[in-house]
Amino acid sequence: MDWALIAGGSKGLGFSIAKALAKRKYNLILVARDANDLSIAKSKLESSMVQVEILSYDLVLPGSDLKIANWCLDKGLALKVLCNAAGYGGANDYLSLPLTDLRTMIRINLESAMGLSLLLLPMLQKSSPSFILNVGSIAGFAPFPEKNLYSATKSALILFSYSLRYQLKEKNISVSCLCPGPVFTKPSIEKETKDRLGWFGKQMAVAPDKVGEIAVRGMLGGKVIIVPGRLSAMVSFLLRVLPAGFLADIFYFSGRKHRKRTFTRHQQ
Amino acid sequence: MKYIIIVLLITHSSLVGLAQSKPDDGRKYDKTTPYALVAGGSKGIGYGIAVALAKRGYNLLLIARGMDTLLAVKKQLESAYPIQVDILAIDLSFEKSADEIAKWCTERNIHLKVLCNVAGFGGARDYLSSLPLDSLRYMVRLNIESCMALSLTLLPLLEKNAPSYILNVASMAGFAPIPVKNLYSATKSAIVFFSYSLRYQLKDKHISVSCLCPGPVFTKPEIVKDTKEKLGWFGLRMALYPDKVGEIAVEETLKKKMIIIPGNLAKISAAIIRILPRSWVVSLYGKAGDKSKDK
Repeated sequence: MDWALIAGGSKGLGFSIAKALAKRKYNLILVARDANDLSIAKSKLESSMVQVEILSYDLVLPGSDLKIANWCLDKGLALKVLCNAAGYGGANDYLSLPLTDLRTMIRINLESAMGLSLLLLPMLQKSSPSFILNVGSIAGFAPFPEKNLYSATKSALILFSYSLRYQLKEKNISVSCLCPGPVFTKPSIEKETKDRLGWFGKQMAVAPDKVGEIAVRGMLGGKVIIVPGRLSAMVSFLLRVLPAGFLADIFYFSGRKHRKRTFTRHQQ
Repeated sequence: MKYIIIVLLITHSSLVGLAQSKPDDGRKYDKTTPYALVAGGSKGIGYGIAVALAKRGYNLLLIARGMDTLLAVKKQLESAYPIQVDILAIDLSFEKSADEIAKWCTERNIHLKVLCNVAGFGGARDYLSSLPLDSLRYMVRLNIESCMALSLTLLPLLEKNAPSYILNVASMAGFAPIPVKNLYSATKSAIVFFSYSLRYQLKDKHISVSCLCPGPVFTKPEIVKDTKEKLGWFGLRMALYPDKVGEIAVEETLKKKMIIIPGNLAKISAAIIRILPRSWVVSLYGKAGDKSKDK
């Protein structure tokens, strides 16, 4: 039976992707930091009659990717899918986060995806045709001043996915990049989206399970860029067509409104 | 109340005095001549930028790994221009480097006006072309992390000396994915994004952020060869030498331009790359890369 490894698969988007893969009878390897979250996820997923292995590793630490790859090699599993869903980001970003957190962001969002893809490549190649799914973001299409470094790391991940897809074409490994708009995986994200984008943001948002389902379908269908939701797809098209400077202007303006609101909230 | 203020003033000034007398290297750090910090300023584009800044009367703080090259550059620039050149031999990929550099600058309270993040790593070998994982990590740490960290730790000093300037060196490879330069291209795209966003974030603080995105620059003989093989005649026409790139970069940074692309042919190419759909550009780049591999 085929196996899928999901880095960051215990919660949020990663967990939704895991569910969509379990529905298609993939056995799962979930990697995350928190052992407790992992065992909860495992018990939920085992109801779909698939095997679930859990690995508790912090992807920020050097050597985690090597340990994960060695574990998979030792088990000799037929790895068909690698999903890099671990990510770090939020309302606070550059200029409102300490330097160590910013480094963590680069290491989780970009380095871990790059490292895991490299180390698991021999296994994916052995069981080809196989799939890599990187989780980017719509914020990776144009610079987003309020989410400065998040947006930069996601842009890097998108370019990485495009290049990797080209590099692995002949090896029958398909690389996809999921670029969702707002996904309400946490209550804080729902609040932030409403503040920043208002009604429009709410319309654009897609439920996590639906995003997971669309992502897996798109990945197995060999799509490069996967943008769930019709409104998000339209917005992402505009983001890619319009000049970056103009877009940064718009983002900055919408951020200003949001900043003002959070400021008055603090005063209250 | 007055008494307290006076006491505070005395303690404060003595503290400042203490901080200023701490670095004992026999140098004066005057408050009138502006300083420019060039990270990766001993060779290549960084050296070109350093020369262009020296011409404009900036004192320099050059940072690089190799002490020998730094010393040679210092000697050369101090004899050619009436400026003071300080050098620090530091590996920018280390986590503690950004804090160390910021400490050096704040202790001497240098009149820092310009920060240039030039240090970068990349070449013919990249992701999946025999570059080991450690070197790939080094690329991410040097190209993105060090630039992000230095801008953050030096921000207070730049803010104090505003209006001031930050110049990040990215590349035209940051506009669209280049398969043979996979990770390099990805890290440079992060720098382009970071520069755009930072410019907005610092607008109110009177710090102008620019991003240099050059096409091929002949800093090393192997780049000449690589460009010829991959892009042929067109590449050679587009390429520039580092001194010219440095001159243009500094001139436009001081004019507060956002994206700086030296050379007309490179400007046109960049515009086309940014307009065309990414999937087209990837296969164009990809095919050019495959061609050079066959050779």
